[in-house]
Amino acid sequence: MPEVARAEYLEELANLEASALGGLDLVNTALTRTLEAVEHQDVELAQLVVADDDRIDGRYLEVHQALITLLATQSPVATDLRLISSLLHVLKNIERMGDQCVNVCKVIPISGNEPPADEEMVRLILSMGRNTKTLIVQAKRAFEERDVEMAQDLVRQDDVVDNLNRDCFRLAIELGDDADKREWAMTMLLAARAIERIGDNAVDIGEQVAFVVTGLFREFEDASHPER
Amino acid sequence: MLGAATKRSAPEESKGEMADSRGVTATSTEPVTAVAGQPAKTIEARDVNLFYGDFQAVEGVSMTIEPNKVTALIGSSGCGKTTFLRSLNRMHELTPGARVEGGITLDGEDVYAPGVDPVAVRRLIGMVFQQPNPFPTMSIYDNVAAGLNLNAKKVSKAQKDAAVERSLRGAHLWDEVKDRLDKPGAGLSGGQQQRLCIARAIAVEPEVLLMDEPCSALDPVATLAIEDLIGELKNRYTIVIVTHNMQQAARASDATAFFNIEGTGKPGHLVEVGPTQEIFTKPGKQETEDYVSGRFG
Repeated sequence: MPEVARAEYLEELANLEASALGGLDLVNTALTRTLEAVEHQDVELAQLVVADDDRIDGRYLEVHQALITLLATQSPVATDLRLISSLLHVLKNIERMGDQCVNVCKVIPISGNEPPADEEMVRLILSMGRNTKTLIVQAKRAFEERDVEMAQDLVRQDDVVDNLNRDCFRLAIELGDDADKREWAMTMLLAARAIERIGDNAVDIGEQVAFVVTGLFREFEDASHPER
Repeated sequence: MLGAATKRSAPEESKGEMADSRGVTATSTEPVTAVAGQPAKTIEARDVNLFYGDFQAVEGVSMTIEPNKVTALIGSSGCGKTTFLRSLNRMHELTPGARVEGGITLDGEDVYAPGVDPVAVRRLIGMVFQQPNPFPTMSIYDNVAAGLNLNAKKVSKAQKDAAVERSLRGAHLWDEVKDRLDKPGAGLSGGQQQRLCIARAIAVEPEVLLMDEPCSALDPVATLAIEDLIGELKNRYTIVIVTHNMQQAARASDATAFFNIEGTGKPGHLVEVGPTQEIFTKPGKQETEDYVSGRFG
């Protein structure tokens, strides 16, 4: 009898976890490029991010299929079952995060090749992006280390991103009556909103960490009833 | 009380009459049955230790087996789950040198109390075995009626016919065998034979059904048929099932008890008992987790 029963299955499950969480590295790269494209109005780089999103989608489909096969063939229960269930969630989160990068990159050509209409707005968006990149790295690490405390800390960091998003909104209102400027500000708000959603997805991944560890699923924060 | 199924809630003081009343009650009048909707009985095990001569097979098991629920006993071979099961209806003591310490009660009544007839206990707590074991030369009808014949002083033909039909219907076998009740039970398929054994067990109107790996000799279709049947029988009986098939425990039981041994020659013990859903999604102990995940060795 081998040292550990079902060694191959356990190895496969560990590989699939690594592969799924590796999707967060792909998202991190996509977001880095997205922020650079925003900063420099780089339409070509933006197009690359859009094209490259196929890799994130491909990872999603591939790992998803392999997890379904494990469910069908290995009858996982207990921690294994919770892990597989959470990976199916996390894959979807990662796929959405990639799509949000694409959303940002798609509005860059609309904002034109002119220099940014407002430096402060760009600064805020880049700051949002940097904070969100930290969220992505931390979500991955919290999952790998099954660290619920680290996962819960994502909420605090996400609040920073949310506040920056509100600052963007206020700034857009103050930008004045010039039609071109207003159009630019509008596209930047779409970008800010997309980045803010990436942060929310990182928090969702943190909730899955808590589920894998404790067996209880609950939202860290209830957006519909924030007072609770 | 034990041995007197006609008086489901007989007072405690009449316990001493058990031996006399055995076997008579179920048939002398229209048998009072475990009626659907009426709660079956609770088994309570308190610090049960089981021995074969000097060898201790089971150590310190305490658990409550809830009425109208299916309780699955799981664990690897030699962990004492079957021995524990057999102690619940006093079959363990049939093995020479075997003995029981601790308490087992059925709705508060000690099944090992002095004066309690083991045969009466086994009538209230029926058993279905791993290998379908119908009496090979007996007809299907006589197989089901066997328990009634043993217990009965006088059973009319009409009463017996009714009991046979009711039991075969209860075991989901009636439609398949109603036209050949006089044919030998051995001529049935494995799954049908097992359902015949279940019919035989419920014919005497027990309170509890013990099942020792009832599906391990059956194909998947017959297995699922038995599992469906178990799901229905729990409306009338308390059911305890020993199974090596963890998916079966997950599918068919409400509560799961995990037994384990620390090593060869050591006694088996109860590691954890809880709602099946919890045992298979978030068990309380790592030992249970390793076992249900197939991570032993």
